[in-house]
Amino acid sequence: MQKIALAGNPNSGKSSIFNQLTGLRQKVANFPGVTVEKKTGKLQLTDGEEVTIVDFPGAYSLYPNSEDERVVLNVLVNPADENFPDAVVYIADITSLEKHLLLLTQIKDLGLPCLLALNMADSAAQEGIVVDTPKLTEFLQMPVIAVSGRTGQNIPQLKQEITALLQRKKSSAPLYQPNPTEQSVIEKLQQTLGIEQPYRALLITHHANKLPFLPKEKLLEITRICEAEGFKNLPLQIAETMRRYQIFTPVLQTAIQKKADKITFSDRLDAVLTQPFLAPVIFFLLMFLVFQAVFAWATYPMDLIDAGFSAASEFLKNKLPAGWFTDLLTEGILSGLGGILVFVPQIAILFLLVTIMEEVGYMSRAVFIFDKLMQQFGLNGRSVVSLVSGGACAIPAIMSTRTIGNWKERLITILVTPLISCSARIPVYTVLIGFVVPSKRILGIFNAQGLAFMGLYLLGIVAALGSAWVFKKILKSSEPSWLMLQLPPYRLPVWRNVWQTIWEKTSAFVLEAGKVILIASIVLWALASFGPSAKMTAAEAEATSIAQQKNLDETATENLVAAYKIESSYAGHIGKFIEPVIRPLGFDWKIGVALVTSFAAREVFVATMATIYSIGSSNDEVTIHDRLAEARNPETGAKVYTPATSASLLIFYVFALQCMSTLAVVRRETGGWKWPLIQFTFMGLLAYLGSWLTFQLFS
Amino acid sequence: MTNSVTHLKVGHGGRISHFTNDHVAGKLMTMGVLPGSKLQVMRIAPFNGGYYLKVDGMNIVVRNDEASSIMTTAELAGN
Repeated sequence: MQKIALAGNPNSGKSSIFNQLTGLRQKVANFPGVTVEKKTGKLQLTDGEEVTIVDFPGAYSLYPNSEDERVVLNVLVNPADENFPDAVVYIADITSLEKHLLLLTQIKDLGLPCLLALNMADSAAQEGIVVDTPKLTEFLQMPVIAVSGRTGQNIPQLKQEITALLQRKKSSAPLYQPNPTEQSVIEKLQQTLGIEQPYRALLITHHANKLPFLPKEKLLEITRICEAEGFKNLPLQIAETMRRYQIFTPVLQTAIQKKADKITFSDRLDAVLTQPFLAPVIFFLLMFLVFQAVFAWATYPMDLIDAGFSAASEFLKNKLPAGWFTDLLTEGILSGLGGILVFVPQIAILFLLVTIMEEVGYMSRAVFIFDKLMQQFGLNGRSVVSLVSGGACAIPAIMSTRTIGNWKERLITILVTPLISCSARIPVYTVLIGFVVPSKRILGIFNAQGLAFMGLYLLGIVAALGSAWVFKKILKSSEPSWLMLQLPPYRLPVWRNVWQTIWEKTSAFVLEAGKVILIASIVLWALASFGPSAKMTAAEAEATSIAQQKNLDETATENLVAAYKIESSYAGHIGKFIEPVIRPLGFDWKIGVALVTSFAAREVFVATMATIYSIGSSNDEVTIHDRLAEARNPETGAKVYTPATSASLLIFYVFALQCMSTLAVVRRETGGWKWPLIQFTFMGLLAYLGSWLTFQLFS
Repeated sequence: MTNSVTHLKVGHGGRISHFTNDHVAGKLMTMGVLPGSKLQVMRIAPFNGGYYLKVDGMNIVVRNDEASSIMTTAELAGN
């Protein structure tokens, strides 16, 4: 199948066009060997042929300054690469075309068939920008078409042009003429290494050191040629870049009519939103609103999902014969599914708000506002976005660090992001907070539990920044740290993009994290239901005789029997095995079981508790919280969830890296087990010490 | 008379004459910040942070280090 690459600068609105062309038929994966996101989709051309569209990461040029840009270079200079395109659709922002054409002229010089799509035609019309497209077509020797990813304007025509481009497959004459040094290096490469395409040979020379596909002997050969010819990378790169601008800028000046620079709406808005004193205040107000919204809005759908699953479980129990299979369905599978779906509202709402901030253009302002502050902690202004996204889920947040060019800053961001409380901790917090803080109003408007909730988040943030500072002192780096970031004009969000992101994130959670949660839920059900049969029988007999001695009624007897049975099950054995280690934190073996199982994903803690206690319960309709509140040590009769134990457990969940998916992502991002293990250890120590201190304080 | 961007006050600007650091130049030029571009300092970040510049109508943010290697001529008062 033929491949089309979608290329362009960051902020060119590429993803809108991609969404317009492919609709929901998208797949998200990584470019091979790196963790740069690769979105692919299918497009039906006007001649009936189906082609693959690959959305390349945004790049300014083929002289890369970031991992994203490096991917674009690596693919475009290597025809053997699986993503090497048959043609390129280049997206440029029509409102700042003079800054968006550099990369296009480079791609064109690589001899790839191109077409130029001028995006944001709707904004251009509003701003009174008129572009002479025939003139551009003549100059660039490629089709030029004005489109809008926002309104869908000219998208059918774009499809026609793509069809024609693939039929023609004609590349245009190069724009840039190499200077004598470059020319002779190109010729040497053509002769000795057989790299025919002149500009490809030049780019390979420039980047030889960092091209993953280049064999060692070719690299040595190129280094030798460069030395012999006196090839100086940086000055030649600057001269080439300058020359390209000199060639196309005068043409653009005659081809584009634009009103003189004036103070725009964005400028006026930025006067407030980036004002040195107001900016941080506004940012934290927005974040506060986001958390309140997630908290308040998500409650309704979550209650519905809960009620739905309880009803389904009850229905099955009544309709099916009692036995292990019914138990597996209701207590293993259904409760696992419920445990996954119940998070969908929170994840969706958080991504709705974060994506809107991103789409509107506010996130890049946040980077500007916090860059200096973040630098104090060895982080980058861009880390703010990752840390904030970490509030939803550390996994996409860690993946988003790849826009940070400096490895040390990126590594520190990766290491500390999981300390930011993610949505998976919300259920744990929600269930436990009630044991520590009463539900009452403070100052008439704030819910005390809501404030405690925020306190836990703040604790996570403080821990993240503190650890970052420590890592900054420990880790050494010789790499220069820098930030150059474009602030796009404020625009209304393209809702299609917002829905697309929400869909992508939630389905990734349900499918990827969900798998783990469901399996863990079933395994746990088995562990809690089965045990060494002799011990299980003995436990039942013992519990029954104790109940008879104490003259307990029927319900109390059942509960006692169930409690003794869990204790003898495999789950109980594991919990008991680790109990000595967690006893100083105020945890019993049941919590121990939950700690082990919630390593699959933190929210499994609640599922575990649900399973453990619903097995010991004669009434399934009590909520987990109420159930835990009733929980007593069967021997001493003391409550298990005292404020001290609950507070200690809360602190444990703030700090501990209780998530194997995060570890897997960190391993992928850092290329080995070293960093995830360091991360797991330091967060574990932090959790243990924090919990121990808390337990001592409260008891 | 050339002036580094870090010597400009908020609202002031000029035309970029050259860059004093080739690495910074290489990066900025790919974004369209070029010798000859019109530059204005829009804002300096809180916490004594980076520079928010308007370059030929495009808004970009750079750190102090990068800003100090951008040289401008002919001070233009802000409009």
